[in-house]
Amino acid sequence: MKIIVLAPENDNHTAPIKWALEKAGHQVVCWAGLAWTGDGQATVLLGNDDAVVLGGHSVDPGDVIWIRRPEPPLPNPKTSESDKKFASLEYRSFYHSLVYLLEDLPVWCINKYSASRAIIQKSVQLRLARKCGLKTPATLMSNSPGPVREFLARDGSRSICKGFTPHVWQKDGHHSVAITETFELRSEQLPADEVLTYAPAIYQEMVVKEFDVRMVLMGTHIYSYALTNTKKALDWRQDAGLGHVTVERITTPPDVEEGVLEFARQAGICFGSLDFGVDAQGQWSFLEINEQGQFLWLDQFNRDLKLQEKFCAFITAPEGSTAPLEDREDLFPALHEYEDLLSREQVPPTARPRTDDPFLSMEA
Amino acid sequence: MNADKRVLSRIGARELTEEEVEAVTGAFKIQHTLTPCFIDKKQQLLNGDQAIGECGG
Repeated sequence: MKIIVLAPENDNHTAPIKWALEKAGHQVVCWAGLAWTGDGQATVLLGNDDAVVLGGHSVDPGDVIWIRRPEPPLPNPKTSESDKKFASLEYRSFYHSLVYLLEDLPVWCINKYSASRAIIQKSVQLRLARKCGLKTPATLMSNSPGPVREFLARDGSRSICKGFTPHVWQKDGHHSVAITETFELRSEQLPADEVLTYAPAIYQEMVVKEFDVRMVLMGTHIYSYALTNTKKALDWRQDAGLGHVTVERITTPPDVEEGVLEFARQAGICFGSLDFGVDAQGQWSFLEINEQGQFLWLDQFNRDLKLQEKFCAFITAPEGSTAPLEDREDLFPALHEYEDLLSREQVPPTARPRTDDPFLSMEA
Repeated sequence: MNADKRVLSRIGARELTEEEVEAVTGAFKIQHTLTPCFIDKKQQLLNGDQAIGECGG
């Protein structure tokens, strides 16, 4: 059995996890995604003996495929200008033929691509969460001014606004940067109707939080962490990046655990990072899930959590195993050991600059 | 900024402090590569061909 990671080797989660798995004797290979270059090429052979090859690595029965973060298909730049549009669509179609096929092979996909595509949609996840018994805030997604004004005019309820995707605006020639963030919005603050049609947005009943919870789902195992934001910001994420958050393991309430496991079962996923807000009454409200959400940063805040070790134990266990991950987590080295090597440049650096960042806009 | 001409999310966007700007845009220089949020330029931003928003809350 080998582990195939669909992500660049220097992805910030792939690199330490691959290192930890290899330290424990597992075979790990990476495929960054479909590309014209040799290591990006792929083949599907359908016949008496079906075969799938990703960048020179055959997909074999019993393999584990972690669909972490494959890069978008990359056609050959030397393709004739007249053919580029066609080639690009062909690359995209072939890519989809590959990744959807994987879940039909005798391998374990974390997660199945089809499931991941559906559950990443915020409307789908909120509705499914509610169906599975989780408390969810009232939510409106719209680009229609009338319903937006009506939603914001609800009695006795505060509201927030947030985007579907993150974005950064940088002033041309300046160091000044603005980022999308969840913000409170009152009806009297709404701009002209036309502005509401410029971009759809998510309008949501505000959960007045005592603290946030980041939950990590690994199979039937659920780990919840209370995030206490010393700045009390509505949106803790940027503050966490700056170290203004403390992270502490907490017990998941049984009804929430039951709801999350049912959610995962119905969504067809076995792994993900979930966000909850917990109010003064101790009620947990589901906010969102990212099926390939970041989780190793939690280890940086609190070494005792051992999420790197737990994840390694998870993907090397048999699919569907319910055995405690803690039983095997000590087989794998910790994130701080990797980071120590990283600081001494004894392992390659992670991440890399992108020149075509789709979430960055320049403004005057 | 003329609020009548900008999307609501830009109107509500958070202007970063210098320290925060460094954390976001200085990413190419640093090795602190793990954040809970995708807004960082050093992250891989796409999964397949679909964007993943991880900054909702």
